[in-house]
Amino acid sequence: MTHTIVWTILILAGLGLLLSLALFWIARKFKVEEDPRIDEIEKVMPGANCGGCGFAGCRAFADAAVKAPNLDNNYCPVGGNDVMKKVAAILGYEVKEKAPMVAVVRCNGTCEARPRTSVYDGDSSCRIKASLYSGDTACPFGCLGCGDCAAACQFGALTMDPATGLPVVDQEKCTACGACVKACPKGVMELRAKGPRNMRVYVSCINKDKGAVARKACLSACIGCGKCQKVCAQDAITVENNLAYIDFSKCKLCKKCVAECPTGAIHAVNFPVLPPKKTADAPAAEKKEDNNA
Amino acid sequence: MRKITFGIGGVHPDDAKISRGCAIEILPLPETVYVSMAQHLGAPANPVVAVGDSVKVGQVIAEPAGFISAFVHSPVSGTVKSIAPRKDMMGNNVMHVEIAVEGDEWAEGIDLSSTLVKEIPSDRAAILDRIKACGIVGLGGATFPTHVKLNPGPDAHPECLIVNGAECEPYLTSDFRIMVERPAEIVVGAAIMKKVLGDCRCVIGIEENKPEAISSISKAVAELGYEGIEVVKLKKKYPQGGEKQLIDAVMKRQVASGGLPISVGAVVQNVATALAVYEAVQKNKPLISNVLTVTGDCLPADRQHNYLYRIGIPLSYIAQYAGGVPKDAAKLVSGGPMMGRSIVNLDATTVKGSSSILYLSQKATKRHAPESCIRCGRCADACPMGLEPFHLYRLAKAGDMEQLEANSVQDCISCGCCQYSCPGFLPLLDNINIAKGKVLGIIKARK
Repeated sequence: MTHTIVWTILILAGLGLLLSLALFWIARKFKVEEDPRIDEIEKVMPGANCGGCGFAGCRAFADAAVKAPNLDNNYCPVGGNDVMKKVAAILGYEVKEKAPMVAVVRCNGTCEARPRTSVYDGDSSCRIKASLYSGDTACPFGCLGCGDCAAACQFGALTMDPATGLPVVDQEKCTACGACVKACPKGVMELRAKGPRNMRVYVSCINKDKGAVARKACLSACIGCGKCQKVCAQDAITVENNLAYIDFSKCKLCKKCVAECPTGAIHAVNFPVLPPKKTADAPAAEKKEDNNA
Repeated sequence: MRKITFGIGGVHPDDAKISRGCAIEILPLPETVYVSMAQHLGAPANPVVAVGDSVKVGQVIAEPAGFISAFVHSPVSGTVKSIAPRKDMMGNNVMHVEIAVEGDEWAEGIDLSSTLVKEIPSDRAAILDRIKACGIVGLGGATFPTHVKLNPGPDAHPECLIVNGAECEPYLTSDFRIMVERPAEIVVGAAIMKKVLGDCRCVIGIEENKPEAISSISKAVAELGYEGIEVVKLKKKYPQGGEKQLIDAVMKRQVASGGLPISVGAVVQNVATALAVYEAVQKNKPLISNVLTVTGDCLPADRQHNYLYRIGIPLSYIAQYAGGVPKDAAKLVSGGPMMGRSIVNLDATTVKGSSSILYLSQKATKRHAPESCIRCGRCADACPMGLEPFHLYRLAKAGDMEQLEANSVQDCISCGCCQYSCPGFLPLLDNINIAKGKVLGIIKARK
């Protein structure tokens, strides 16, 4: 009895020793030389594996960054400039600072502004809805409201607002990885510069129909009237296919266009609320303040 | 006459052919028609008329914009009012040519008499040219340009032309009515296509629930005396009219995954296409009209209609002419209830492939809230392509493209049998369709 136990222990221990020596030798012999900097970079990465940089995950990004001659084409939008500085320090490269970006919803067709014209009872997915028809409102361009973007967001930055039927971006959580932009079948989501002190002005509509048609479908649609273009001193606004677009690299945040827009399609967010002036038209300008978008 | 059908899957929805007894009526012309530039599969046609031009019936107003594309002809005579985007049936913007109707003046060279021309031209290339010039597309639903399908290339060996008179979708009776009312023209059209394909065998397949059509077509085949045309009776089963199902039923051959019907020597054309081919080749009449059924379960029996409509007439005009939209209609569908599309914009116009306006009640169309899959396997039993819809559905939800391709999602014909048979009301086809589109995109990108 005792013999059996002793022999078993001895044989197994001997086997273990032998195999571990074999594994040690194999690991030495077939070792894959990997740049140690890949591990270092991976450690400083956010670790979200979101794919926002265009690579399959953080390690794939690190691998590509080590192999690349410079960091011009490799940028982690989630980590932003802080992480990229650390990556550049490891690699000894220069890093071009990029303005932090944020996702914006380019549709303000709320339930009141954009009445439903049909009832959709299919599966709750924007992609399926878009493949079946133009959506349950008369606007064939705008948000479908099934929340594919919110489902695609890994950072919990997007939620669907049941009151408006539109997604709401939490700008603190949004990392501008671009997953929502890819998920939206209508192209409603856009990545824009966060702007100084998070202030930004954008056209919250992508309706390319003629003014009358767009207005009929949605009260707050961009009708392509061009008033904003005329009032803009920076040449930042272009009107193409009955739709205005503000170039955020040129916009100086003067908000003239916001006051000029007849439908309220231009949104200005995170501007400080000015003390009310005594003139009558002051409240109208403040109404456009929208801290959610 | 023996009855045949396809091998696997299929469902048996109530055929509900309420409008089968209604003879085809000619729809009068409205004041304005809107002719869509995207009436066929493939690239939308390019308009060749300008605003202010006066056009005649049958005059070319748009030219094909690619290999898979088709001519579009003016369905009316009048003046071009505008060329602008307009919302189609599903609410998406499509380029339309708006024509104000003035009289009914036909372009020269079109034979408007009703005499039957039996003699088939001998020049194969000339026939194909005529079919192309007349803008004929497949009228079974897919609107694939017919001249492309009838010209499968020098390496192909067509053995059998199958003329599809199955009309397996519930409610629709437009094909049935033309088979009853114009059988001789259909048979001549079939003989023309048979000639183009190099005098192969020709089978006209009709489902057993249309005995009048079987007898009228059989009579026409016997009277006209073309060689090698036979009529077969098909069992009533959906989707009998699917191309691959019909080939299986008639020829007992299965098209391989990713293959075209011509790979097993088959070419399938609809009966309405045969009629259009007859009119194009023998009468030089372009495809400017088609037959459409106005029916539905909430429409009284005396208000059902089959109309011969000119392409471009707004659906709202047809609905108005047929007595307005019934109050209890919950859903309007164009095409059959199984594969058709719901109409969200009644101001949209009819196109070459429009086959119906269905008024369906809340009871007939209500979708129940989806429950969970109980692994009963009914969807797999019903799938005529031998797929496993429950599995594809799960993969589609997870977005696993590799596994979807490995499980042949690209073979799905979108017939809807799985969703129809699911006791848990799962949106199977909705999700599979999206996955199919993505996988087809991946396969195309790989080539």
